[in-house]
Amino acid sequence: MTELAEKKNRKFREPASYTSNSGYHLLPFRFFRLNVAREILVNEVGDFLIVNTGTAEKVIKRQITRDTNEELYADLVANFFISEERIPALIDVLSTRYRTKKAFLDNFTSLHIFVITLRCEHTCHYCQVSRVSEDKASFDMSMSHIDKGIELMMKSPNPHVTMEFQGGEALLAFDKIKYAVEKANMAAWENHKKITYVICTNLAPLTNEMLDYCLQNEILISTSLDGPEFIHNKNRHKKGNDSYQLALNGIKRCRETLGEDRVSALLTTSNLSLDYPEEIIQEYLHSGFNSIFLRPISPYGFAVYNEKKNKYETDRFLAFYKKALDKIIEINLNGTFFREDYATIILKKVLTPFPVGYVDLQSPAGMINNVIVFNYNGKIYASDEARMLAEMKDETFLLGDLENSNYSDVFYGEKAFQFSEAWANESLPGCSECAFQAYCGADPVLNHATQGDVYGYRPTSVFCQKNMEIIRYLFELMDNHPEIEKVFQTWIRN
Amino acid sequence: MEIKYSEDLIHVLLQKSLYAEKVLYKCFYWYGGSFNVDIKDYSDVEFLVLLKPKEEVKEIQPIIDKIKRDLIDFKLREIVAKETQVLRELLVAKAFANFEEEDNDPSTDVSDPVGFNPLTLS
Repeated sequence: MTELAEKKNRKFREPASYTSNSGYHLLPFRFFRLNVAREILVNEVGDFLIVNTGTAEKVIKRQITRDTNEELYADLVANFFISEERIPALIDVLSTRYRTKKAFLDNFTSLHIFVITLRCEHTCHYCQVSRVSEDKASFDMSMSHIDKGIELMMKSPNPHVTMEFQGGEALLAFDKIKYAVEKANMAAWENHKKITYVICTNLAPLTNEMLDYCLQNEILISTSLDGPEFIHNKNRHKKGNDSYQLALNGIKRCRETLGEDRVSALLTTSNLSLDYPEEIIQEYLHSGFNSIFLRPISPYGFAVYNEKKNKYETDRFLAFYKKALDKIIEINLNGTFFREDYATIILKKVLTPFPVGYVDLQSPAGMINNVIVFNYNGKIYASDEARMLAEMKDETFLLGDLENSNYSDVFYGEKAFQFSEAWANESLPGCSECAFQAYCGADPVLNHATQGDVYGYRPTSVFCQKNMEIIRYLFELMDNHPEIEKVFQTWIRN
Repeated sequence: MEIKYSEDLIHVLLQKSLYAEKVLYKCFYWYGGSFNVDIKDYSDVEFLVLLKPKEEVKEIQPIIDKIKRDLIDFKLREIVAKETQVLRELLVAKAFANFEEEDNDPSTDVSDPVGFNPLTLS
């Protein structure tokens, strides 16, 4: 007993052992120049230090000492950039934190998208998938496909799945939605699962009966609001030119019946939107939303393989994004809480130890791991974008079909393994040494759509260009303006 | 290191003793968007990197400055990667090891500060 106590107790050591200056060992970290004056060091779990340019070089060349750089040295040790022991005593803490960052993988696929119909009464110019048609037999999901989709969803190891109804315009097939919800409720009860239901809709066909049904079944509504009337109606062409009014009325009715927090809106950025960042933000504020998701223009369908155009479009989007973000920050600094959701996703990764379940910005990628799509015709795709590609006759990400494929074929099949080689940014060229790796993700579907291969080529990648600059900009804002970091802290807590 | 710009081509001559091939590939990978990049094993002691701009170059000096800066950065990154490779592998292995196993006992037999072994307590 005494021997054990002598050998393995954790009593504090003598003061001298904490003041030694006998050199240090590097721990895995990456660095990046934020601007001429400042650079950022990021360790394996996403902890960061923003320091003067040249600091990384000094750290790596062992030119930092406890005596001459007391504060920096302490920060480097405390944040796992250097260690005085070859294997840091707290390596188990670090590895637990690494596992926490990847905890979104624990339960596997959660989001199950059912493309309940391809029919739509809108003819939006950026939509490649919808059909203006009365032909339910050809463009609605069949009952048997709905049954099979639910069967696969119940096989997910995830105890809490999301069943999302998309279109076309999902409400045009409300009878199918009702059938699917009834079936899924029963299956969930039998399989001890919890299901969150979401209907993605432009709200134009919304009736009181539909609202009552959504209330009874706790169905969330996700709609679209592209900004002021002239932008929304231009983006979302419809006979009668009344898409905007229908959306606003629908949002109001949803809030009244379902509750304020049961309806959310998504912005689809178009070329027209890029000239009106402030007007779009004002529209969201006036419509009673406390957040906006500034999503980039989808490159699917019109920018494939055109490097120069892709770069130009991304530059334009980034200028729009920064102008909009600056305006949003100003609104917050003036006392009104209003959040930008894309920045918030990144900031949660930067400022908290927790993962964020956002399928477009994670590594391993969200495809299959977190999302699966059952198309109206029974085909199964790796992500929502993958089915858009399919409508453009590109079936690269087809994983199987609801008639013939079983769970194993779809989720652990040859194609899934093939994509897995390209879905982790830790092993992609350019990403593997990127300082922003922990905050970013991989998107093989986008790489394939815009560059012709699932691995992608970072120097001309729209994904890389966009995310690198947005992440860099967020860090620069926090470094230069402590009051903005306080605003960001309120975003990640709400 | 020697950098020349002539006939619409940037020539970068680099000592093998200073820059590993891996460093050159990682560094000049990022130039592929704006340049056609060619990395040659030039002699026993040197690599030659040829960069042909895809668009007209208006000012050469900022590009030369960037090349010099990037080479240093990628060499530093290589030092970190090399020195920490084992630890990084250990970290990831530990993070995902025994994930499925229930582990109710203390994971080590390190005692508390008073110096007794918690495993001997019933």
